[in-house]
Amino acid sequence: MTPVALVERLLQLVPVLLGIAAVVFFMMALTPGDPVELMLGDALATPEQKESLRRDMGLDRPAPERFALFLKNAATGEFGMSFHHRRPVGQVILERVPATVELTLASMLIALVLGIGLGVLAAVKRDSWIDRVATVTSLVGVSMPGFWFGILLILLFAVALGVLPVSGRIGYAGEVPFVTRFLLVDTLIAGRVDSFLDALRHLLLPAVTLGLAMAAFLMRVTRASMLEALAQDYVTFAEAKGISRARVLFRHALKNALIPTVTVAAIETGTLLGGNMIVETVFGWPGLGRLVVEGIFTRNYPLVQACVLLYAVTYVLLNFCADLLYAALNPRVRL
Amino acid sequence: MTAGAVETPRPDAAPEAARARAQSILAANLRDFLANRLAVGSAAVVLLFAAMAVFAPLIAPHDPYASDLFRRLQPPGWMEGGEWAYPLGCDALGRDILSRAIYGARVSMTIGVAVMLVAAVVGMLAGLAAGYRRGMTDVVIARVVDVLLGFPYLILAIGLMAVMGPGLGNIVLALAIKEWVLPCRVVRAETLAAREMDYVEAARALGASQRHIMLREILPNVLSPLVVVSTFRMATIIIMEASLSFLGLGVQPPVPSWGSMVADGRQFLIGAWWVSTFPGVMILLLVLAINLASQGLRDAFDPRLRR
Amino acid sequence: MRHAAVAVSTALTLLLAGAASAAELRVGYSSDITTLDPANHRSRVTEGVIHNMYDAVVTRTDDMKVVPEIAESFKQIDATTYEAKIRKGIKFHDGSALTAEDVKFTFDRLTKENAMGGKTSPRKSLVGPVADTIVVDPLTVRFKLGNPWPIFPAYLPFNQVVSKAHVEKVGTDGMATKAMGSGPFKLVEWRRGDSVILERFADYYGGAADIPPAGPARVDRLIFKVIPEPASRVAALMAGEVDLIDELPHHAIKQIEGNPKTRVLKTNGTRSFFIDLNNRKPPFNDARVRQAANHAVNRQLIIDRILNGLAVPLATLISPDSYGYNAALKPYAYDPARAKALLAEAGHPNGLEVTIDVDNAFKDQAEAVAASMSQAGFKASVRLWERTALTDLWKDPEKHDRQMQFRSWGDGALDPVGIFVPVLKSRDRGNFSGYSNAEVDKLLTAADTETDVAKRSKMYQDAQAIIHKETPLIYLWLPQDVYGASKRLKSWQPSPRGIIKLHRAQVEG
Repeated sequence: MTPVALVERLLQLVPVLLGIAAVVFFMMALTPGDPVELMLGDALATPEQKESLRRDMGLDRPAPERFALFLKNAATGEFGMSFHHRRPVGQVILERVPATVELTLASMLIALVLGIGLGVLAAVKRDSWIDRVATVTSLVGVSMPGFWFGILLILLFAVALGVLPVSGRIGYAGEVPFVTRFLLVDTLIAGRVDSFLDALRHLLLPAVTLGLAMAAFLMRVTRASMLEALAQDYVTFAEAKGISRARVLFRHALKNALIPTVTVAAIETGTLLGGNMIVETVFGWPGLGRLVVEGIFTRNYPLVQACVLLYAVTYVLLNFCADLLYAALNPRVRL
Repeated sequence: MTAGAVETPRPDAAPEAARARAQSILAANLRDFLANRLAVGSAAVVLLFAAMAVFAPLIAPHDPYASDLFRRLQPPGWMEGGEWAYPLGCDALGRDILSRAIYGARVSMTIGVAVMLVAAVVGMLAGLAAGYRRGMTDVVIARVVDVLLGFPYLILAIGLMAVMGPGLGNIVLALAIKEWVLPCRVVRAETLAAREMDYVEAARALGASQRHIMLREILPNVLSPLVVVSTFRMATIIIMEASLSFLGLGVQPPVPSWGSMVADGRQFLIGAWWVSTFPGVMILLLVLAINLASQGLRDAFDPRLRR
Repeated sequence: MRHAAVAVSTALTLLLAGAASAAELRVGYSSDITTLDPANHRSRVTEGVIHNMYDAVVTRTDDMKVVPEIAESFKQIDATTYEAKIRKGIKFHDGSALTAEDVKFTFDRLTKENAMGGKTSPRKSLVGPVADTIVVDPLTVRFKLGNPWPIFPAYLPFNQVVSKAHVEKVGTDGMATKAMGSGPFKLVEWRRGDSVILERFADYYGGAADIPPAGPARVDRLIFKVIPEPASRVAALMAGEVDLIDELPHHAIKQIEGNPKTRVLKTNGTRSFFIDLNNRKPPFNDARVRQAANHAVNRQLIIDRILNGLAVPLATLISPDSYGYNAALKPYAYDPARAKALLAEAGHPNGLEVTIDVDNAFKDQAEAVAASMSQAGFKASVRLWERTALTDLWKDPEKHDRQMQFRSWGDGALDPVGIFVPVLKSRDRGNFSGYSNAEVDKLLTAADTETDVAKRSKMYQDAQAIIHKETPLIYLWLPQDVYGASKRLKSWQPSPRGIIKLHRAQVEG
């Protein structure tokens, strides 16, 4: 990709992000409910108290003015004060990002392993019963409401069998100091294999819940591209030359077939990132998704606005990466 | 669609040729689909659920709204404390779960079909316009699509539901606002390819109107990918309804949807598992069947996967 | 190498045994806390955690009596002056002594405009008309009120004392995450969104002298772990991952009681449930229709079947445990015939269609009420809203056409001022029914500043009697707060305050 094309591409983002900022701002502004009343709750509140809170939250100014301020500040990475935490929104959000990213990556890994495995199997054994079983298996996760599936997993593995934990990221005997806030990394930095394993155990159920829901899609993509690859001349040719079938499959066909899968996975990572609030709630996972949903329900405007912009930027960057990845993996494509 | 297969038609025969061509491909696709037993079986399951939805008042043994607190959380017929008059047991308000699940098919499928149809129609029109007219139309639609794609689906839906409040119509609206983007992208890509084809060129040379070309020439050729993507999405929409119910943004009581039944009943999973398990299994079966059926459609309709 | 071997064997032990240490107490908590700064929130769940790290001038016993905590004595000097003598030798977690200066600093921070990093404390109105806090000597402090405010002692337990030196060091920004109080536990780490990890403060002065046993905490570590989903919270308790959970759903009681390792703990709640009737518009502008509605709800049946019997039917808005409760009033009897007769008398002989607005959390209960009313002359249905939207919709009774709203109002101070005034005084902030009665207003206003305890109580009781007759609301019930606990947990009883303070709790095995 030439530098000019790159800049052009980045410039296209500006209207998109502006559009998203406008949508999220006015969506929150239109939502009925007064953040001040909500925060004060049932306990005693004088009119003066309400006024001072309203001022603190910047809600004493009209919506258009607040929108202009939001845009101006967002350009410098400043998003105001989270209403309920009464701390800068940036801080509140960043504390929750690593947990979400860790969960997302683990889920994507599970989805990739399952999706590619089942997809290749189904393509190689096309139209056989193996193909059918692989297809149905890959679809089970996506065919259940995530919260229900998650609770079923908890009841089975944590309550009935007692082999995996119910919630959280790590047990309390295994705490390690935060360095990166990615527990799988931090436990290794601290040299605690036990904690690492513990973190892994905590990660397993939520990641499976999310990962299985994504597996079907990756399986479908892999199966289709694998079928296409298997139909290519060079595969037929290689087989005719007497190269073993396994070698043909893995060295030639799979390599090409994986390009679309990996590209799609990069894009879908964004979907997973913005879609894990329910699994986070069920498994008590301290991530961003739960924070933003609570933010919507508690009318925490600055928090929701900043989160949605963060999701949008991530989504756009992931798409961009997917394009680069596609080009890198596929020598025939020149961007 | 491969261009090579099309013979160059005489200009005045163009529309008929296009239609005939589309029809013969459709027939071949259908043959392929019918050969896929898993897909056909799944389609039958979907139809069965649809029939259940349509004839709910005739099938349901009880009034799905009739509450009797003395039957609160009554177990299924085969369990101790259950009775066969209420074969799948009763929910927290003592209502018959079987009857509610039968009626729930109505609500869940209505939401699935309604969102899908709105999205397909809007997406198709936008995609045709963007792909055929290009220029500013394309740019504007592309930007709107980008904005919606960058906004996480569930967060947008939750936010819109918070603006509008719970309810069936609002769920359809909240989901359709983003849902049309996918069919739009598919139709646009197909339209871009189709507009370069001979039969479209021919129609244009004959002075056919833009509307005529879009709706009569191009549309029949983008229809099958549109159908494939739309049926796939219906499965996702039914799951989304359940997610919204989990967050307290579902349909209005006492109307039962499977999503709200599973969501309300999840708290009873320890102790009264039947409350959410039966509607959960219904969702699983229906969504699985839709997915398998549409996968069969896709296999049959996608020329690259043709034998 | 050996290091790794040890680690691996520890890991195996962990995998097999789980991570249970003898003196660690874990609480499965339903909500995220928002801050650790006692002066910078309005959240009951946040306050619950903070109470384990910070003590207040006074606290409450489990039967809700106000008793000195860090104070040795607390007394009223005159109508607008209160005096607290601070106990000698109380230490903050950093070892420094707690003095009257810290108390003054705490209350200045709460009451003065812009005293918190340019902002005003959101808890200012919970301190009332405190005009000044005066240090009399290093261990004596006086609160000077701008006008008489008889509930000052009732509200004092809500505000915890901070260290002046610590706040000046870390600033208001730092206070959000760096807790340093004089309470039984000190902060180890707050993992945002996940848990608050506390450890025993060995030099703790022992807590309120009136609540035995005094002394430092009896567990080494206390962990509040956020598990927002109720089903998961119950699962965590059953799996032994936590020892105590709040907001145990009523329907899980049987399972928790049936499990050999767990039990159920209950206490009287402080949250009243009721249904607002729109008094400004037909049909509920007619007292007979309102009375009919009250007679149409089978409270006891719903309490028995849906709330597992764990609630008391209400005859008035406030809790029977509350100050100023009028015990002479009886709940409206369930009487469908009377309801139908009243409706007919009011011109609705063929029944009356009504809609109850409710949020998702109480859908079940509202549907049960609707079913009950529908057997007594009404045709009631339920409409679901998001909670916040509902509050907005109902806030001005003149402007909307809604009829009924199922809701609740909590009052942790058990004084009518926190519930009666906002909900039933004309145009007050929680008065969604549009009820307005000059006589009631007069009584409530007078009671605000009446310092004679008996006279003030009489005023509230008189107001209740008037309201009971006019019945602007449907009084429903006052549920108990229900907790689930492991049998390891000893020496702890839930408090009606809804605050989980665990300094006297023990764990075994």
